[in-house]
Amino acid sequence: MRRFIRRMREQSTPLAALLLVALLCPPSAAQAAPPKRIVALTPFGANTLVKLGVEPVGISQTLGGQERFSPKLEDVEVLPLSHPNGPNLEQLAALDPDLVLSSPTWAKGNDSMGDLGIRVLVREPRNVNSSFAQTLAIGGLVGKRSQAERLVKAMKKDVAKARRGIERRPTVMLILGVGRTPFTFLPNSWGGDLVTKAGGRLLTGGVESSSGFERISDEVVVAEDPDVIVAVPHANEDDIPSLTEYLRTNPAWATTSAVRGGRIHISVDNSLLQAGTEVARTIRKVRRVYLEN
Amino acid sequence: MARRTLVFAALLAALAAAVVASLALGAVKVPFSEVIDVLLGNGSGGPEQQIVETLRLPRTVEALVVGAALGIAGAILQGALANPLASPDVIGVTGGAGFGAILIIIAFPGSIALLPVGALFFGLLAAALVFAFAWSGANRGSVGKVILAGIAVLSLFTAATTGLLAAYPERAPSAIFFIAGGLTSSGWDEMQTIWPYFAAGFACALLLIRPLDRLALGDDVAASLGSRPHLIRLGAAVSAALLAAASAAIAGLLGFLGLVVPHVVRMAGGTSSHTFVVPASAIGGAALLAAGDTLARTLRAPIEMPVGPFMVVLGVPLFLWLLRKAV
Repeated sequence: MRRFIRRMREQSTPLAALLLVALLCPPSAAQAAPPKRIVALTPFGANTLVKLGVEPVGISQTLGGQERFSPKLEDVEVLPLSHPNGPNLEQLAALDPDLVLSSPTWAKGNDSMGDLGIRVLVREPRNVNSSFAQTLAIGGLVGKRSQAERLVKAMKKDVAKARRGIERRPTVMLILGVGRTPFTFLPNSWGGDLVTKAGGRLLTGGVESSSGFERISDEVVVAEDPDVIVAVPHANEDDIPSLTEYLRTNPAWATTSAVRGGRIHISVDNSLLQAGTEVARTIRKVRRVYLEN
Repeated sequence: MARRTLVFAALLAALAAAVVASLALGAVKVPFSEVIDVLLGNGSGGPEQQIVETLRLPRTVEALVVGAALGIAGAILQGALANPLASPDVIGVTGGAGFGAILIIIAFPGSIALLPVGALFFGLLAAALVFAFAWSGANRGSVGKVILAGIAVLSLFTAATTGLLAAYPERAPSAIFFIAGGLTSSGWDEMQTIWPYFAAGFACALLLIRPLDRLALGDDVAASLGSRPHLIRLGAAVSAALLAAASAAIAGLLGFLGLVVPHVVRMAGGTSSHTFVVPASAIGGAALLAAGDTLARTLRAPIEMPVGPFMVVLGVPLFLWLLRKAV
């Protein structure tokens, strides 16, 4: 009997220790089962999931048309968005998501989704480097860490290739919106970072802003004399000729090298406005079509 | 009389200071001697000449014309409707112009060059709707009817504008400057299209100065002196509509100026005579807008901000000080 009690004591110590460890250390997020029903409210989130082999249960309407989405998402339900709430909460809840990959643009809606008990993570990169980090983060979330690492490695290689052989660094004024008061993209915006990576020098007048956009004086435009003007106007392909003409005839910019050289471009696909996974392809397009470097 | 002269002199001094500041200050430092040389036609060429000639000069002129137009529009409307709260908002112009501009910006961005025309057209359309309702049926042309019709039409266009902004939220940033009110550096282009409306509005206002003074004695007295109160009121509304719609086409929605400037000059001059209030409002409005615009483009240079809030910052303390003294 004494021998039995001693053996029990010897065996119970490690058991108790194990029990204590289990109680104090609940399973981490990485160990938890990956979410199965994911809604992606950004092209970046949706396309990253597809590239990792995960099909979301819902995606959102997006700026610049649905062609920014992978063809593999054709049959996925598309949620309309409205500002500043994002998707309709009833439509979203009907999809019963475990996880929503959202954007800071829908900040108000993100809180409401959280109130519904839906896990919401903001995944919308503002620069190329953070797109790598966020790809890895999404990979970790959906239990595809190694695929994400391979994807990021391929993306980095492709971006490096797209940036190879830059010969000229023209001054680029990248503007958002229409009218005589457009906002200028700053280096901490998605488009600003892509243009810089493509070899352009952004015209900013030395302005910094956490939003990534500011309305800068036309006096600075005249003084810094952009070689290229690229506008992101939220318009359609049909509008390109009239918008180009409108920018060309802006008296304030008439003497700039961009206007005199006819280097005014309109980007309507919004690949410069909202992050996507097609980073290297966009850099190549910026170099080939806009910067000619 | 001496007080009025003094106020006029002060307004002219403020106007001169605002014009000098508007031409001399900006995001890029241009020596004052160079500014003078450019204005005298002796510029040295290059970016500095272009900045003064193509950007600052037209913008200063726009500020003066729009400021004067809104000051006059407020003065004649307040006189014609005998209502201290009257401004171009009351006859629906601001709401209509706002809708016209936002419609172009949001729904037809490819036709953005038509923005001034769109603002002008819908501003005048809104005013025409107000006139049509206010000058028909019983009590046609009465002050209450004009104001109520104006508020109804303003609400209608404001709702339509809000609907457009909600339907295309991603395009809303382009509309911010128009809604908040701001001048642009678009050379003489817009002024070349819009100037006939300003000219007609100014001419009409000039003709109304004496009739408005007679109307201030009351409809019955004005009628006994040979005036036609309803016709004077209609003329004032048409003139204000032309001036306010043309202003909105150039500088967006700057309703505050038309409301406050006439009160300020009335209180400062100690008289409601339109012979004094109308020209003084023109000078005061021009000075206020030119000064506000200079602040808006230099305070955080090279970032440009909407001018509306700056005019409020400049105008409200003066207004409240005068109001306290008047009470």
